[in-house]
Amino acid sequence: MSDLDEFKATYFDECSELLLELEEQFIAIQDGDRSADRLNAVFRAIHSIKGGGGAFGFDGLVKFAHSFETLLDYVRDGRVELTEDVITLCIRSIDLVADFVGAARDGITLAPDYGATEKASFDALARGEAGGSAGSAAGDDLDEFDIDFTPVAVNLDASAPLSAVGSSQEDLTVWQVTFKPFSSLYERANDPLLLFRELALLGDSTVHAELTQLPSLGQFEPFGVYCTWMIELVSDKANEEAIREVFEFVDGDCEIGIEKREGVTLAPAVAPSDDDDLPSFADLAEQAKAERKFVPTGEPDDLESPAPAVAAVKPLTPARPAVASEAGEESSTSSGRPAGMQSIRVDLDKVDRVVNMVGELVITQSMLTQQMDDAIRDRYQELVRGVEVLAQTTRGLQDAVMAIRAQPVKSVFSRMPRLVRELASKTGKKIKLETIGENTEIDKTIIEQLSDPLTHMVRNSADHGVEGIEKRLAAGKPETGTIRLSAEQAGGNILIIVEDDGQGINRERVLEIARERGVVAPDQQLTDEQIDNLIFAPGFSTASEVSDISGRGVGMDVVLSNIKKIGGSVHVRSWTGKGTRMTLRLPLTLAVLDVMLVKVATSPYVIPLSSIVETIQNSRADFGYMPSGGRVLQVRGEYVQVVDLAQRFEMSSDQSEDNRFVVLCEAEGNSKIALIVDDIIGQQQVVIKSLEENFERIDGIAGGTILGDGNVALIVDVQSLKVDSAHQNAA
Amino acid sequence: MEALDMRDDYQDGAAAAQNTLQLIAFSIDEQVYGVEITTVREIRAWNGATPLPNTREYVRGVINLRGTIVPIFDLRARFGDGKTNPTKNHVVVVMSVGDKWIGILVDAVSDILTVSKDDIHNVPEGNSIDTELLNGIVTHDSRMVGLIDLQAVVAGAKLDS
Repeated sequence: MSDLDEFKATYFDECSELLLELEEQFIAIQDGDRSADRLNAVFRAIHSIKGGGGAFGFDGLVKFAHSFETLLDYVRDGRVELTEDVITLCIRSIDLVADFVGAARDGITLAPDYGATEKASFDALARGEAGGSAGSAAGDDLDEFDIDFTPVAVNLDASAPLSAVGSSQEDLTVWQVTFKPFSSLYERANDPLLLFRELALLGDSTVHAELTQLPSLGQFEPFGVYCTWMIELVSDKANEEAIREVFEFVDGDCEIGIEKREGVTLAPAVAPSDDDDLPSFADLAEQAKAERKFVPTGEPDDLESPAPAVAAVKPLTPARPAVASEAGEESSTSSGRPAGMQSIRVDLDKVDRVVNMVGELVITQSMLTQQMDDAIRDRYQELVRGVEVLAQTTRGLQDAVMAIRAQPVKSVFSRMPRLVRELASKTGKKIKLETIGENTEIDKTIIEQLSDPLTHMVRNSADHGVEGIEKRLAAGKPETGTIRLSAEQAGGNILIIVEDDGQGINRERVLEIARERGVVAPDQQLTDEQIDNLIFAPGFSTASEVSDISGRGVGMDVVLSNIKKIGGSVHVRSWTGKGTRMTLRLPLTLAVLDVMLVKVATSPYVIPLSSIVETIQNSRADFGYMPSGGRVLQVRGEYVQVVDLAQRFEMSSDQSEDNRFVVLCEAEGNSKIALIVDDIIGQQQVVIKSLEENFERIDGIAGGTILGDGNVALIVDVQSLKVDSAHQNAA
Repeated sequence: MEALDMRDDYQDGAAAAQNTLQLIAFSIDEQVYGVEITTVREIRAWNGATPLPNTREYVRGVINLRGTIVPIFDLRARFGDGKTNPTKNHVVVVMSVGDKWIGILVDAVSDILTVSKDDIHNVPEGNSIDTELLNGIVTHDSRMVGLIDLQAVVAGAKLDS
């Protein structure tokens, strides 16, 4: 991989994170959080995507992102109002940016006018309101725009002493000037300091640098523009025109906001006795940069500076803490935490290698412990102690490594609000999504596998569960339906619950369809719960008419098989007219599986504990014989197909029939299968290893694992045994 | 045909520079076979393997190689001469074939041979097993050494149901 490719890979990694963040931020914004931090975070994310894209020459992406950014910039400083329409446009545009990024990554060329409509909308919005209100908005945005500054009195020019303000205080007016230079200002070799000096000639000026945009040193661009200034001008002679005149030369290269502060009464002007105590602006800027703190600490009064001017600006300081706590983790980089130090990017392969090694270590360690007999214990006490410490450390190491692979379910949950929003608009329903416990952590592999099933479930809830508005109102429910998505840890499992307050499962209809399709025998009696769980049966769909959202009959059975694949289970409960709750039970990690260790002929096999219903000694089992010579097991009034594993795996068993065991297992869709094994050895946890890695898939085997003695045991694939024995019977 | 193709592959390999080939030589009964030394990962004594169901008889099973499951192929059985009855003196040569690691069970590892590529002969047409499993033949110390085509050994190990 060349260097450039590596950079690109990193860039695309970052893009996907940024896109996720964008989506999160916009959802918060849509929910009514219009804090400036949100907007800033959005702006930053788009800007980063654009910047990187520019470096790699992804023109389409850059152009689109640029328009987007421009709009956001206007939104940020209040020139464009953040209406629902604008938000919807923005959210749609995130998708487009994602498309652009995806196209760039996969080297696909998008149509030249791709995203042109949205781009045009951006430009129109930006143009439409950009002209008129710039000046007046400048004042408002002081409140909206989270400005983290604490006023600092700066001595700009000793030659323009504050005492020059004069004695006629009744004529004094306070002007608030915001000065936001563009990079073009610096390109034309203008110096803000000169402007401030000029301004200071008009009266008593106090300049505050607003440094919240200052990035971390790593992201600092030498020619970047990060600084905005607020100037408090107390003057008896200045008027707006005079102030504008000062900035005449830089007109168009900066944003100027001039506002007259009303109702500010000034204490009698006190001539500063100690000008020298005021730090020079340059010093302050240096200091701020050096500390990478945006605000010199302390209340204004802490500075040894004359009170009046400073006191006047105090009300401008926005209350920070509230905003800061609302800000997402990512966006809080602006509040003083050094960015980029919190995490490192590591290849998953590397982590997996560590996980594997630790697995080996655990096995070796347990082997060592097994070797300790009493004789050794008596003779080598130090050794024994060492082994005990080793055991503890190993366990700690295992936990720590598993924690590295663990990820918050947030990454899956965060895709759901958009899904619900889309579904709601497609179906004309009103649906609210609540998420709880999104910081619950699960193994990364499980999270990856979780996305599809969860999407199906949420879709199902929105489509079949939550009713239309009229129907809800008629049933005396609030107009807006609620889907609640929650995650929690329960023992060694993670529970993910999708709940809705909709109509519940229509049991008569479900049963009718199930009978129609032969899923249930006509005379079979089912409990309500069994009926509810029929929706997971293969080829089952209850939607009377097939919608384009869900209801093609593939869906819920796919959910079940996907969840089973990662060692989990699904359970559904429904209350007629009140709602449905689907519970996903997932293992904490895929790496460790609870199994029953059995013997088939002379070889060790393991059967996942999650699929075992019960074990019966052969001599006590109730077998029946079929015309083909095959056996069936009768258990609690059910006839279950019997598979002799030794026979199935073509091994000869010398165990007498009566001493063998029946392991009754549950396969997909509540069907059962009875496996005959030669011996049951015990129960343990094993680390799953792939057979395909060096060999290939074998029917009836789900993989391998390494036992404490270093031998390989094979994992029985209950589901595939069930399926292919059905084939054999048919043939 | 195959033999010619593989010679090209060898020339792309590490030994291309010197136009020579280093082989690990091992024996099954009296016959000596070889594989290119760069493919060999390790050599270990036979210590049993967990049999795999529904595979051909020359798949002896799988072993645990430091946490990875590696399949073992019985070369004698692969040549159609019946299963090896392995003892502690039998040897497993672990090799990488493509991106997979496999082990082959042989009677003994005898030597490391350096042969010139020009000395590689095509396998005479005739028995299809020979032409399928061997890339070529070299002569070393006036003995015939068959170059094993590892891809062919591994292929088709699963029983078709």
